[in-house]
Amino acid sequence: MNSNIWLLTFADAISIATTLILASLGAIITERSGVINLGVEGMLLMGAVTGFVVADSTGNLWLALLIAVLVGVVLSSIHAALTVGLRANQIVSGLAMVIFGTGLSQFIGKPIEGDPLPVVIRPLELGWLSDLPFVGPVVFGHDLFTYLTWAAAGGASFYMHRTRPGLLLRATGDAPATVDAQGGSVARIRWVHTMVGGALMTFAGAWYMFARAAAWNQAATTNGIGWIALALVVFASWRPLRALGGAVLFGFSLQVPFTLQALQIRTLPPTIVAMFPYLITLAVLVLLSTPRARRLLGAPKMLGQPFVRDER
Amino acid sequence: MIVLGRRIQMEQRMAVPKSAVVIVPVVSVIAALVVGGVFLALTGHPPVRTYLDLLDNGYTSFYGITDTLGLATPLICTGLAAAFAFRMNLYSIGQEGQMYLGMIGGAWAGIVLADSLPPLIAVPSVLLFGALAGAAWIAVPAFLRARLGTSEIVSTLLLNYVALNLVNYFIFGSQGFFRDPTTSFPQGRAVADSARLSPLSFFTEKSTNTYPTFFVAVLLAVMLFWFMRVSNYGYETAVYADSPNTARYAGMSSAWLQSSVLLVSGALAGVGGAMYVVGPAGKVDPGLLQVGLGYAGIVVAALARYNFLAVVLAAVLFAGLRTGGNALQVSNDPVPIAIAVVLQGAVLLFALGGELFRRNKVTLVRVQKATT
Repeated sequence: MNSNIWLLTFADAISIATTLILASLGAIITERSGVINLGVEGMLLMGAVTGFVVADSTGNLWLALLIAVLVGVVLSSIHAALTVGLRANQIVSGLAMVIFGTGLSQFIGKPIEGDPLPVVIRPLELGWLSDLPFVGPVVFGHDLFTYLTWAAAGGASFYMHRTRPGLLLRATGDAPATVDAQGGSVARIRWVHTMVGGALMTFAGAWYMFARAAAWNQAATTNGIGWIALALVVFASWRPLRALGGAVLFGFSLQVPFTLQALQIRTLPPTIVAMFPYLITLAVLVLLSTPRARRLLGAPKMLGQPFVRDER
Repeated sequence: MIVLGRRIQMEQRMAVPKSAVVIVPVVSVIAALVVGGVFLALTGHPPVRTYLDLLDNGYTSFYGITDTLGLATPLICTGLAAAFAFRMNLYSIGQEGQMYLGMIGGAWAGIVLADSLPPLIAVPSVLLFGALAGAAWIAVPAFLRARLGTSEIVSTLLLNYVALNLVNYFIFGSQGFFRDPTTSFPQGRAVADSARLSPLSFFTEKSTNTYPTFFVAVLLAVMLFWFMRVSNYGYETAVYADSPNTARYAGMSSAWLQSSVLLVSGALAGVGGAMYVVGPAGKVDPGLLQVGLGYAGIVVAALARYNFLAVVLAAVLFAGLRTGGNALQVSNDPVPIAIAVVLQGAVLLFALGGELFRRNKVTLVRVQKATT
């Protein structure tokens, strides 16, 4: 019985990891261009609530996901307009996106609060594969989007390290002046990747809504997952494939409190156990900031810096 | 000369004109109201009437303005906390959690110490312990930032969630020290009477939700404004904010400046939480968790452009949105309180965009063909 629950915990960790991977992929792509978008938490909420509202009125999952993605493009282009276009402070703009997204999602979601989900994303039926011991539920017990997400991480890695636009993307984050001197448009590269990143973030929120949440509830739907995704970016040292392992680790730490509750393990009160994901994330961040680790990390050198030609 | 078209030309300003300092925030607020109005109209609430109700319930009626000043009290503190850190380019977003800790620390002092002390000492000691608890909560991120260079943004934020669960643990999760032992209903243990202030009546017979702590918060703002202007410390932080390298060459310690600024910021947010104990709550009250005054403090600070005196005005403005919004929620045509948060976010976004106009002279110029 107990081993069964831990098996489910593993499976759930991989499932939660899908949101974390999508959101942190979005953040990695954005940050590689030199733009930091702290608004992940707000974007997740907006993706979740718009997805829900569209699905509620049309009953169409695909349309809901599409609209959620478009909302991400619109929101992140506000961020890009402010930070790339108007050279506003990226940190403050990102925080404004969190506050704006939180408020707006709450406002939009008020009428549907507590309603049951109109559609859900179900795991794929993979026949005998799903019946395998251990591997069945953990590896083959997921929905289409989970597999696509893992593939997307591979795709993003290939794009960033093996293609020309990907090279330009990384160059824009590290040395925008060089890209500019070569005739590339720093502003365009930053706009495009901020928007793609934003689309991934709201998609992450919408997926979470349909695959994992029971109902829309602003306070509980994301619960800080967006911030954990941002920590994951550092953990992954801005490399998509490294985000996969980290996402499973963080996903596991998010799932364990529920498992302990299900097992009626009461050595620690649930409110204390609920702190663990955040404390573990913090501990990981600390380990990563030791001088030795920092040398291996390699953040985009001009992250957060607006690019102005001819300055200096 | 042939006019080819027009383009927008930006020219960096040498000095910021006085008018831009006022116009940019005012226009930001108006623009945000327009955006909020669109959302109101889309959801079937008449925007103008809603805003007039908001104005009346938030600012112009007697209970409106006194509720607003009461809510603004901790908000000024979190706003000062954010402004103090942000102007040093330290982006602490942990005011929310530090405020909870300030409430816990203040309540501890109010329960343990205040019994034997006269109010004149008890109330300040509650505020002091709130400040200490707030500073303690940011100590780890401050140390990590100063010693290892760990981003304070994510570390302070993560601790907000830990603080939230800590308050829940004290009130709902345990029968511990902070829990009221006299009732099975989960609520905080009341602090000693000597640690509490009575609300102001503003020369009427009515009881309001404004506490004398409002003036303490304003005094804090004035003192910070003055201190950072005249002191060596204020000068050093200003130099460091402009150019960390210059500061280092001049022999200033970046570790000291970074950690001390973050600790003071945490203490300011902590005082905000303790004011909640001295004033309306009188105990550790999970009700504070639902208000989001810590995050709103960041918006207040940004709108005030990290000017401590302007923080007071911005905090009153934002608190009014909140109290007005609360009243709207329970009116005949209930508008979700979230509209207040939408407006806050929108004000900040517009204020950020307005920065461009503050820093640059923006003109529309005709592009002419060169005459050879």
